[in-house]
Amino acid sequence: MSSHREAPETAKDPVADSTDVYAFVSPDRPDTVTLIANYIPFQAPDGGPNFYEFGEDVIYDIHVSNQGKGEADITYRFQFHTKVRNPKTFLYNTGPIGSLGSPSWNRPQFYSVTRIRDGKAKVLAEKLACPPVNIGPRSTPNYAHLAAAAVHKIGRHRVFAGQRADAFHVDLGSIFDLGALRPFESLHLIPSANAVGVNSLQGFNVHSIALQVPITEVSRSGKLPTNAASPGAVIGVWASASRRKSRLFDRKTGTYVGHGPWEQVSRLGNPLFNEVIVPMAEKDAWNAHRPKDDKNYAKFVNHPELAKLLPLLYPGVFPHLAAYHKARADLNAILLTGIPSGVVPGFQNYTGPVEADMLRLNLAVPPASSPNDLGLVAGDPAGYPNGRRVDDDVVTIELRAVAGATIPLVDPSYTVDAAAGAVQDGTSNTNTATSDTFPFLGNPGGGYQTEPGSAAV
Amino acid sequence: MSETSRRKLLAGAGAGVAVGTVGLTMGPARAGDAKPGASSARESVVAYVEDHRSGQLRLLVGEREVVVHDRDLVTRILNAAGGK
Repeated sequence: MSSHREAPETAKDPVADSTDVYAFVSPDRPDTVTLIANYIPFQAPDGGPNFYEFGEDVIYDIHVSNQGKGEADITYRFQFHTKVRNPKTFLYNTGPIGSLGSPSWNRPQFYSVTRIRDGKAKVLAEKLACPPVNIGPRSTPNYAHLAAAAVHKIGRHRVFAGQRADAFHVDLGSIFDLGALRPFESLHLIPSANAVGVNSLQGFNVHSIALQVPITEVSRSGKLPTNAASPGAVIGVWASASRRKSRLFDRKTGTYVGHGPWEQVSRLGNPLFNEVIVPMAEKDAWNAHRPKDDKNYAKFVNHPELAKLLPLLYPGVFPHLAAYHKARADLNAILLTGIPSGVVPGFQNYTGPVEADMLRLNLAVPPASSPNDLGLVAGDPAGYPNGRRVDDDVVTIELRAVAGATIPLVDPSYTVDAAAGAVQDGTSNTNTATSDTFPFLGNPGGGYQTEPGSAAV
Repeated sequence: MSETSRRKLLAGAGAGVAVGTVGLTMGPARAGDAKPGASSARESVVAYVEDHRSGQLRLLVGEREVVVHDRDLVTRILNAAGGK
């Protein structure tokens, strides 16, 4: 979750596993939009000596759709190169890393940023330095300084690629134990005492690609949208990772050699889409498809398995949901088309009839002065499902939506179950605090500082 | 097929197929006839016969995929793959 290890193939390929995507009008520069794509889930910070890094054999893309067709009208492409400064040591670093150019850092990564628009690729920058991973107080003594040095300006763009603390929070241990939600466990089919949620991602890092671009570069008109009711104010955003079609093992070097075109192996728009909407047998194929073909998966949105499970797992708690058999037009709008005008007063992020899993961001909605982590359903139109901010509590938002809390938006005859507005997993972000400025995600936890988790049985 | 006409096919077959993929139809060639052409690949190539019943061969070269339709070539590859 939200797309950590969400499909059988990506679970075996963490370097290409997109875990979260964020898109929001930047609170630190409101004439820009910030796009973030995270990869490589569940990084234990002490996972040396070969610490985590982006794949040289992976293309990382962040796509923007601004013509309402669910296709990538602009793609920002990131490709990484790893340098080994001293091939005669097994160490990631041979001394303290005081700067990005430190000769003590034995395995730095660099990357290029390419913008692809109208079929034409333009390299925006090359040889940009990533920060090292956070190893500990002897190796990376001033990590905040190293991370700040890895924020690069490219004209009016800012970019960062490197390790960050995961900002996503969810109680995986309970949810995947037959749908248990610790705050409501006494109501479960197999009951136990209610408890507080446990953030399964506490202490884990990810690798982030963060890009801040002028809104005028991604908007349909090329101008700064000011009318939130205008269809042209909305963009769709998703990320993907691609690998070469063939990988052959080279016995001489002990590495893989790629051949052929790049093929998409992972994608992510809305959090939890592939995770809990798409059936297991179709998850890998979903990862290989483009959003514009998502009409093939609409039936799983319109009649989600999770909405059928909730009344079974929590007997008597969701009677109205259990009796609701219509197609879930509310979820279809939130996840596949955007919310049309007239559904939520004063708001829309509709991109047209093409059903495509994308984050949809209305660029004319300014950043909130007092953000509410429950986003649009809590009256904050700058939050999910209008794009997604790093602090948005998407688990709670989507749990409540699936539980029926958003059905009345499209079907006023429906009476919401009392539990639908209260259901949650009981977690919050207990990793490093997020930031109000680019790249927004917190500094990663350090290896030396890491303590092992519970081994309770 | 001459190298000139082969290149025309390569250029013309690009539309309508996946990015990085081109199609190519070749006439049968006898063993010993082949000579390197001006556009011959000069790097490692992966050949992939997805369906042994078809005459289709996929060549993965660089960042491209060349789809060749040549029953004779595929048959000879299948024979070679059989160890004979």
